[in-house]
Amino acid sequence: MSTPHGINFGEAPARTRVDQLRRTLGRRTEGRAVALLAVVLVVALVMEPLVFSAYPVTLSRVALVGLVALGLTVVILMGELDLSVASTVVLAGVMMAQTDNVALGVLLALGTGVAVGLVNAFFVVKVGINSFIATLGMLFVLKGLAIVISRSEPIPLENITFAIQFGLPIVGPLTPRIVIFVLAFVLLHLFLTRMRAGREFYAVGGNRQAARDAGIPVDRRLVTGFVMCSVIAAGAGAIDTLERTAADPTAGSTVLLSSFAAAIIGGVALTGGRGSILGTLIGAFSLGTLEVGLTLTGVQVDIQQIYIGGVLLLAVMTDPASLRAARSSLRTSLHGVRARSTDRGLT
Amino acid sequence: MSDDQSSTVGPVVIEADSIVKRFGGAVALDGVSVSVRAGEIYALVGENGAGKSTLMRILAGILAPTEGTVLVDGRPLEGGTRAALDAGIALVHQELSLVPEMTVAENIMLGAFPTRGGAISRKEMQRYAGAALEEIGVAIDLDEPVSRLSVSLRQFIEIARAVARKPRVLILDEPTATLTPAETDYLLEMLQRLARGGLAIVYISHRLPEIFAICERVTVLRDGRHIDTADIADTTPDVLVDKMVGRELKQDLGVVRESNPGDVVLSARGITAPKVRGIDLDVRAGEIVGLGGLVGAGRSELVRAMLGVDPRTGGDVTVVVDGQVRRVGSYTSAVRHGIAFVPEERRQDGLALSMSVSDNIALPNRRSISRAGVTSPARQQAFASTLADTVGLRPPNVKRDSGDYSGGNQQKVVIAKWLGLRPRVIVLDEPTRGVDVGAKAEIHRLVRELADEGTAVLVISSDLPELLDLSDVIHVVRDGQIAGTLARDEADERSVMSLAAGESMVTSS
Repeated sequence: MSTPHGINFGEAPARTRVDQLRRTLGRRTEGRAVALLAVVLVVALVMEPLVFSAYPVTLSRVALVGLVALGLTVVILMGELDLSVASTVVLAGVMMAQTDNVALGVLLALGTGVAVGLVNAFFVVKVGINSFIATLGMLFVLKGLAIVISRSEPIPLENITFAIQFGLPIVGPLTPRIVIFVLAFVLLHLFLTRMRAGREFYAVGGNRQAARDAGIPVDRRLVTGFVMCSVIAAGAGAIDTLERTAADPTAGSTVLLSSFAAAIIGGVALTGGRGSILGTLIGAFSLGTLEVGLTLTGVQVDIQQIYIGGVLLLAVMTDPASLRAARSSLRTSLHGVRARSTDRGLT
Repeated sequence: MSDDQSSTVGPVVIEADSIVKRFGGAVALDGVSVSVRAGEIYALVGENGAGKSTLMRILAGILAPTEGTVLVDGRPLEGGTRAALDAGIALVHQELSLVPEMTVAENIMLGAFPTRGGAISRKEMQRYAGAALEEIGVAIDLDEPVSRLSVSLRQFIEIARAVARKPRVLILDEPTATLTPAETDYLLEMLQRLARGGLAIVYISHRLPEIFAICERVTVLRDGRHIDTADIADTTPDVLVDKMVGRELKQDLGVVRESNPGDVVLSARGITAPKVRGIDLDVRAGEIVGLGGLVGAGRSELVRAMLGVDPRTGGDVTVVVDGQVRRVGSYTSAVRHGIAFVPEERRQDGLALSMSVSDNIALPNRRSISRAGVTSPARQQAFASTLADTVGLRPPNVKRDSGDYSGGNQQKVVIAKWLGLRPRVIVLDEPTRGVDVGAKAEIHRLVRELADEGTAVLVISSDLPELLDLSDVIHVVRDGQIAGTLARDEADERSVMSLAAGESMVTSS
């Protein structure tokens, strides 16, 4: 590429295939999620190969946490948070159990999701409350609502036969939940990489002022994102309820943190603009495999949390940016210590 | 530069008609009118806070005027950014508004992604973005994320984005603030080419030589009022400066300071760090040492490594404290030994913007204003007020948040907080970048006074007249090494530039 007039900046465009590949890899954000998944798989292979023969279990575990994490990723990419996802899961389940018509119930659940998303977006976009706080408030409100509506009792579904049917695999090990999960992944992936609105989510998260200046309807994008996230969470709630054949207002306590963990392990930056749905998928797989592996080796659920926490910290620490920062701060403090001992009295 | 500027000035494209803009009670613009013609480069000058940025944002539809109208082709412009974009008005911001994680192509096409059947067409995007880069004559890999590009390159991408919209009006706010002289020359030439193609360009800059090089007309704003509009051919830089400041500005350039340097106070030997390759440097008491060179030559890296702000990989730095030689190992020890540092990124590194001026000034001065660890608010106020007076903070209200002040005043606050320590050495990195003419003169005065009182001063500046004007001696840095040292009487723009760029570049300019 040559320019008729003027200056060339920086390095020339990549010429060889290897160059191209190296650059492409350098730009991906899923690196550590892939590495982590590889480690988890290798360790599982050595310690507890049962993880692989029990893959239907693993898959449904991944789909459980993963679905919510996919929706959450959309919001995080825009530089916002949604702490109300787990409460949305629960409330949507309870709403669904209000009717004995499954189709109506699912609609009710998804409608709840839309409403929650709109309310979240209202607080963040119109009122201008920080999304951490707005959705923290919603976390409590929705949880309380779920308990009030259900009178804090699990509500059994009327149509048990359908619910039982729903929990069974359709093809091979694929239950409807897994199929929906995969479908949601594909749709979101296409949306965020190929669609104009989806790509603009990255701009909203990466540099909001720039997005506004470029004429991107930032507020509308935010509303879309929050609604997408809540609807997906509500969908997850409906699936849970169907599989359990009852809506449990006290369930879902680990969903919130696990779904955040999956996104973060997947390389999605909480500051926005950086990450991918693919990363979250891989993150969810790492976490799910880890959990199932630990369960199968007989590690208690409480102790599993320690492992998960460790893995999360490891994932964040191995982020290239954090590594660089850690290295230089270590060097500075070492230098400082060395220098301080000689600071005085050189004469 | 070029001599065929006469040719293509056409009809008025954009017109601001008696614009008034109030923010709460404050009047930012008070009945300002401008009109820009196709093919013309129109300069907007004034001190920081004169209302240039506000006017520019009104022209670009970001702000709505309180009174008055913006007319494009005689039709009023209403409906915000989107309408302005649709009307062909493109704005290049002073603060870069790129999305770091997106690619060059995506940033250029931001907000206007070409789609086919609902999906983004990558091919189209590459084609349009490529064409925009071609038009401004800059070659970059379209798939590179912007976060990996240099600041100057980002500035050109910003311009490419504006050009990609096929605008009829292009507004640029201080586009050369982060560019090297060669890049600036290139940009100016490019703008002239675009104007010859019929574009109306509004050019905002503090740098008068640029304006005299490329603009046809100039409007001076002061305190939100329209002071004068003149043909460039009929005015001079001195006249413009007078109109901008409105008060009699002490002749700043050409003041030669009597300097009589004392003993070496700050001494660096064999400094190595990323981008710094073995530099020795001495600064004497009462001496102003300038560091010249191109942006990216390693000057900031050098001083940051010297002071322990960033880690250094090798070398020793010593400072003489009351006749004793002390080693500077960490930034903490640098401060303890009386070295003050005014960093380049004042908003990021130099000031806590959400804190008051008084709190900012108090930060490094805890010892002198507190007793037994307890600070009395009254004493802090008094202490801060004295220093604010010394540096000429305007308005001198130390209770205001630092973020409410203009760039020049913020810089004065940064300097003020160090003055409280009576530093032996003061290091300033680009002390007047983005600062208006009046504040600049005051900062220069302060630096000279400090040196006169015996402080050892080290200044980095990319503003050549400033560097030449202030420094007793100039070290020119190139590629992390000192390319040459010039005494006051041998230094001029040409000698500094030829050392900074190596010979190749100077021959062409």
